[in-house]
Amino acid sequence: MAILEEPIKEAITLKNYINGEWVESKSSEVWDVINPATQKVIARVPMSTRDEVEAAVRAAKDAFPDWRRTPPLARARCLFRLKELLEENFERLSRIQTMEHGKTIDESRGETRRGIEMVEVATGIPSLMMGYNLEDIATGIDEYVIYQPLGVFGHIAPFNFPFMVPLWYSPFALATGNTFIVKPSPRDPISQVKLAELVEEAGFPPGVYNVVHGGAEVASVLLEHPDIKGMTFVGTSKIGREIYKKCGETGKRAIVQGAAKNFMVVMPDANVEATIPALMTSFFGNTGQRCLSGANLVIVGKDDSFYQSFLEAFLEAAAKIKVGYGLDESIQMGPMQSADGKQRVSGYIERGLAEGAKLILDGRKPNIIGDYPDTCFLGPSVFEGVTPEMTIAREEIFGPVASVMRAADLDEAIDLVNSSQYGNGNAIFTSSGKNAREFQYRVESGNVGINIGIVAPMAFFPFGGMKDSFFGVLHGQGRDAIRFFTESKVVIQRWL
Amino acid sequence: MGLNTASEVISLSRQLEEAGARFYEELARRYPAHGEDFLSLARENKKNIVQIERAYYGVITDALEGGFAFNISQDEYALPTELAPETSSEEALARAIEMEEKMRRFYAEAAEQSRSLMADVPRVFAQIARKRDGRLSTLKALLA
Repeated sequence: MAILEEPIKEAITLKNYINGEWVESKSSEVWDVINPATQKVIARVPMSTRDEVEAAVRAAKDAFPDWRRTPPLARARCLFRLKELLEENFERLSRIQTMEHGKTIDESRGETRRGIEMVEVATGIPSLMMGYNLEDIATGIDEYVIYQPLGVFGHIAPFNFPFMVPLWYSPFALATGNTFIVKPSPRDPISQVKLAELVEEAGFPPGVYNVVHGGAEVASVLLEHPDIKGMTFVGTSKIGREIYKKCGETGKRAIVQGAAKNFMVVMPDANVEATIPALMTSFFGNTGQRCLSGANLVIVGKDDSFYQSFLEAFLEAAAKIKVGYGLDESIQMGPMQSADGKQRVSGYIERGLAEGAKLILDGRKPNIIGDYPDTCFLGPSVFEGVTPEMTIAREEIFGPVASVMRAADLDEAIDLVNSSQYGNGNAIFTSSGKNAREFQYRVESGNVGINIGIVAPMAFFPFGGMKDSFFGVLHGQGRDAIRFFTESKVVIQRWL
Repeated sequence: MGLNTASEVISLSRQLEEAGARFYEELARRYPAHGEDFLSLARENKKNIVQIERAYYGVITDALEGGFAFNISQDEYALPTELAPETSSEEALARAIEMEEKMRRFYAEAAEQSRSLMADVPRVFAQIARKRDGRLSTLKALLA
């Protein structure tokens, strides 16, 4: 298969989008954005200054009064226009994600679609934002609830889904009448710039949506700023905990989605033919850089023959995965997003070996399809004989590594899942409704899969998370997002 | 060559339909007696592309979350669209019938492999496979 045409032809220095203007940063610190497959520099991203963040917050604060007075239907029309523009630019946006992140073109298209779905759901805001009322709470007295926007919200984006994750929040924030500032990941910020160009074209008023590039300092200014009412974040639990703490100190609302260590529990009655491909995308899709990726594969039962045959099928499928540049349509797994990421994963593999696990598929020297530097590439790796105390069983590796464990029965498997400090997206594969219900009932996990390997909630459901995988009360997406981005006001009225 | 990804299979279906459209446009030019029949088939080839791509782009996330992968041999579906200058209309029609049968098999296989997931895609593949029956009847009637 030929390589699809690259939409980025030259590396430009990205600008901030503040108050409806594309503004060059005054910062002297500029990072290269590197295509992880080709190692070519495809953009340069500034580490914006404190003043530039302040300017974005001011613009967003100034834009808020008019935007909140804009009728929800008119706000929805802006989102409808944005949706149309996103559809028109679907393929270009997808290929940019492959270039900046490394994921395959199918994965990028899936990410684009998921992002668009958020916008589609948010267009329903006239209904979603309705309050409720009750006449005669006492004779002649009525009471009702209205939902009102709060002001400026900020988002600190992760690198693993550079286009989609900010869209888990921004359409809902904007639809409810708030204004928004995005800090894209400096590793892959290009698709966020393209998105902002479409936001501008869709006719959102200046200051309603802003993009400020940068790293920890930009994030820090946003977190401390008294004019920001709430923050959303997706990233590691370590940083997430700090962000949640900071938001508490500064009185901000927060949705903080952290790390994960997801268990895929395979019962002996599972449909093996359907389960193997689901597990392939769960463990190795997005090169394992997904907070909903499978990490620990728990094969249940005392029957050695089922264990062996299932493991062989899993290994055979993993070994066949084609690794290469995601713009080659035949590729099933792209590179890690960065050389650092590859080094981190390789370190975990070394740790697994040192702690006594058996590496039965070694992805450290993958067969790369095409002529590309191996800087960021890894193939699928599979460990057998992993025990719950091992580092590779406990910590988030965030790469294409599967740790295979055994459990005697469902009870033991559920105990294993619940022993994790995380609770993000765990799944069971079974043909028994009883097993599935038991798993769903007892497992401590914000998202639960039943014969589904990647438990990604749709835009109209909240994206769950428990234990160290989530800090906050309300979640992103769906009705939770509407509540998060609004304050409820209760009115009790009597006309004399 | 084996095709595994959804993107590859969608690209192959686009290539097959485009090759088919070009073939029928050439037949229409060479054999004007049946020109409108051939052009109608070419137009339908182009509509098929739109229909398939619309379905794919609409449900691509299902493919990702469902762990969907194809296993289709591209070599089995190489289309016989080359026509020598001296090819008679009967030979060209026989070639068209062979091509349509191959495409029907391709869509039937693609529909079968995507059956459990990506609801819109197998539905479209199956529809287009069924359309091939009608096209085959038309071509066979022209040959008779």
